[in-house]
Amino acid sequence: MNSSRAVLFCLLLLSLGVVMALWTNRSDKRNVVPTDRREVVFWHFWGGEDRQIVEAVVDRFNASQEDHFVRAIAMPGNNLDMKLFMAVTGGDPPDVVNQDDPIMADWAERGALLPFDEIASPAEIESLQKWLVPASNRLGTYRGRLYALCNGMDIRALYYNKTILDQHGLQPPNSIAELDEIATATTEIKPNGRVERFGYLPDARRLWAWGVVFGGNFYDDKTREVTLASKPIQNALDWMVSYRDRHGAAQVAAFRQGDQSLPGKAFPLLAGRYTAVMDGQWRVRDIAASQAEQRRAGEAVTDYGVCPLPHPPAGRSRAGWVNGNFFLVPRGVKNREGAWEFMKFWTGFDGNEANAAQTCVAGGWIPVSTAVANHPTFLNYLQQEPLFATFSELAAAPDQVPTPVIPGAAYFQRTVNDAAATAMYVEDAPSVTTLLEEAASRIQAHVDRSASRGQP
Amino acid sequence: MSANFRRNLTGFAFVSPWLIGLGLLFVYPFAASLYWSFCRYDLLSPPEFIGTEHYQRLASEIATGEGFGKAIWNTGYFALLSVPLSIAIGVGLATMLSWNVRGQAVYRTLFFLPSVVPIVASSVLWIWLLDPRDGILNRFLQSVSLPSQLWFKGATEAMTPPDFLDFGSKDALVLMSLWGVGNFMVIYLAAMGDIPTQLYEAAELDGAGRVRKFWHVTVPTLSPVIFFNLVMGMIQSVQAFTQVYIVSEGTGEPASWSLMLSLHLFLSAFQDLDMGYASAMSWLLFVFLLVSTALLFRTSRHWVHYQGAGR
Repeated sequence: MNSSRAVLFCLLLLSLGVVMALWTNRSDKRNVVPTDRREVVFWHFWGGEDRQIVEAVVDRFNASQEDHFVRAIAMPGNNLDMKLFMAVTGGDPPDVVNQDDPIMADWAERGALLPFDEIASPAEIESLQKWLVPASNRLGTYRGRLYALCNGMDIRALYYNKTILDQHGLQPPNSIAELDEIATATTEIKPNGRVERFGYLPDARRLWAWGVVFGGNFYDDKTREVTLASKPIQNALDWMVSYRDRHGAAQVAAFRQGDQSLPGKAFPLLAGRYTAVMDGQWRVRDIAASQAEQRRAGEAVTDYGVCPLPHPPAGRSRAGWVNGNFFLVPRGVKNREGAWEFMKFWTGFDGNEANAAQTCVAGGWIPVSTAVANHPTFLNYLQQEPLFATFSELAAAPDQVPTPVIPGAAYFQRTVNDAAATAMYVEDAPSVTTLLEEAASRIQAHVDRSASRGQP
Repeated sequence: MSANFRRNLTGFAFVSPWLIGLGLLFVYPFAASLYWSFCRYDLLSPPEFIGTEHYQRLASEIATGEGFGKAIWNTGYFALLSVPLSIAIGVGLATMLSWNVRGQAVYRTLFFLPSVVPIVASSVLWIWLLDPRDGILNRFLQSVSLPSQLWFKGATEAMTPPDFLDFGSKDALVLMSLWGVGNFMVIYLAAMGDIPTQLYEAAELDGAGRVRKFWHVTVPTLSPVIFFNLVMGMIQSVQAFTQVYIVSEGTGEPASWSLMLSLHLFLSAFQDLDMGYASAMSWLLFVFLLVSTALLFRTSRHWVHYQGAGR
C-alpha cells in the first residue's frame, strides 16, 4: 500500500468513527435522564410504526413532567417474559413493563408484581376501577386486586364482505343460523371439490370467543373449577365441528390455520378467501388501505362491514373474547410513583383523556375507558373510520371476557386451543364431549398445582 | 512452597477463567437442575422439595400419551425418520459429488449452500414452500396428479396407519431437516477423499462393479464418519427446537402434533413456570441420550470399521 492510499484509508476510518460517534451521541440523547428528574425504566415490545407511536407518547410525557423521566427500552416480544423474569429474580426490574401474555396471575400469585393498591391510594384505585370498562378491569384483576392496568384492548367482531352479501341478497348476521346461511350461500367449491371461498369457517383458536357467545364460561372463579366441558361450550364446539363435517378436516385445516396472522393484503377477507371472518380492530386499517388502493387503480371498491359476533337464541349478544396490552409494575421497582404517573398519562386516567385519545388514534387502539372513547379527538376518528366504532362500542359491553386470569392461564389457553384444533382438524377425532372433558381434567390438575403455593 | 506447586498454581491461574465459567455456567446449573427436578420450583419462590412427584407425573404422561408422552412420540417419530434419511442422502450426495464430472466444485457449493442459511430464514421459506393451498410443492404434486398434502398444518403421520402417506407436520419437519444435509455431506466428502485408491483397485481386480465397490469399500471405510453423524444427528434431532418453534408459532400446533421434547420443556419452564417439572424432563432426556449413545457405541464394534484397526 503506497502512502497516499494509506492516508486515504486512515481518513475513511476516521470519518467512519466520527459518523458512528455522532450516531451514538444522537441515539443516546433521547434516553439521557436529566439530573433533576427521577428515571422511570419502561420495557415494551413494540417495533416498527408502533414503536414510533410509543416513543411519541414517552416524549409527550417527558415534556409534560418536572419530576420523572421515562426511558423506553424496546425488546423482542418473544423473550420479554424471560428477560423480565431474570430482572425480577436478579433484583433489578424495570419500573413498568408492557405485556400481552396471560402471565399476570402467575406472577401476582408468586409476589413478583406490585398490586396497584400499593402504588396509589385506595380512593384513586376505586376511582380507576370505576373509570375502566369492565373488560379492562377483568384483564387486570386477580383475586379482587388490580395487578395490571390495561392500556389497549383487542376486541373481535365479524368482518364481512358487503359486496358479496349484496350479490346474494343477504344481510349481516344477527344469529348463528344467519351466519350458517351466509356460509352455505356464499361458499364457492370447484368441480374438483376444492373450496375457493368459504362463506364462513370457524377458527379452532376462537373457541374462546364462541364459547362465551354460546353462553358458556370457561372457569368458575368462586369454586375455582374449570368449566370447559359445560354444555354451552360443548354446543359452541359442536357448531364449529359441523363445518369440519361438511367440508372435511383436510380442507378445513388447509384453509383455516395460519390465516389469522397473515398481514396487510394477505388478510384472507381482502384476498377474497372468505365472505366473513372473525378478527380484531387492527384489520380496519388493512381494509382502508386495500380500498384506497382499489380507488387509485380505478377498480370497483369492495365494500366491507363489521358487526358483533352473532349468537344462538340462548347465547349472549355483544359478547366475545378479549385480550390486550397491559402495564405491570414488578416488585422491587425503584420509582413506583413515576410508573404510576406514566401509566395514568398513557391510559388517560385522572384528566389525561385528551392525551390517551391522541395515542389511540395514532395507533388505532381501543380506549380502556368510555371517558377516552367519548373524547372529541377519538369521536372524530370514529367518523373517519366508521368500522372502528363497532369495536369501540363492543369494548364497553359487559360480556367481553378474557382468558381466565388465574395461575396457569397460559397452559389453560394452550390446552383449550389444542382440544379445539383436534376437534376441527383431525378426521377421526374423539367426540367433542370427550375432548373437552379430558382437557378440563388436565387443566384443572395444572391450575390446582399452579395455585397450590401462596395465598389460600 | 515447592517449585512444582507454584508451577501448578500458575497453570490453574491461567485456566481459571475457563474453570470458573465451567463451574458457574455448566456444573452448577447441571447439578442444581437435578435437585430442582425433585422440587416445586418457579424461579421466583424458593424450591420446595416434593420427592419424585415430577417423575411420577412424567411416567403417567408417558402411559396416557399426553404432554410428555406425546412429545416423546413426536420426537421419536421425527428422529427415526430424519436421522437415517439425512445419513442416506448425505452419503448418496457425497458419492455423486465425488465423481469427477465437469462443474464438480459448483455442484458441491450448491448442495452445501442451504446449510449455511440461518434456520429462522429457512423455516419461514419452508412455511411458504409447503403451504397446503399455494405452496410450490403441492402445486407440483397436483401437476403430476398426486394428492396435495397438508404438511405443517396436518395432524397426520405419513409413516403410521391410518394416515399412511398423508404427510403432516412432523413429516414436513423431516423434509425440512434434510435441507441442512450439506453439513453431513461435506464430512462424507472429506472422508471419501481419504479412502485409499488401492482398495478400489483391488476390488476392481476382483471384478467388483460400482455398486459392489460402494457397498464393500466406500460404506465400510466411511462407517466411522457415519457413526459420528448418527450420534450427532440423534442428539440434534432430540433437541430440535428452533424450526419447530417457528413453524408452529411456539405452540406445537396443529393440536400438539409437532410438539417436540425441547419445545414442551421450554413451554413448561418459561410459560408455565414449572421449572421443577422441566428439570425432571431434561434429566430424563439426558439419561435417554446417554443410554442411546452408549448402546450405539456398543453396537458400533459390529459395523464400524476403523482403518488400521488390528494392525
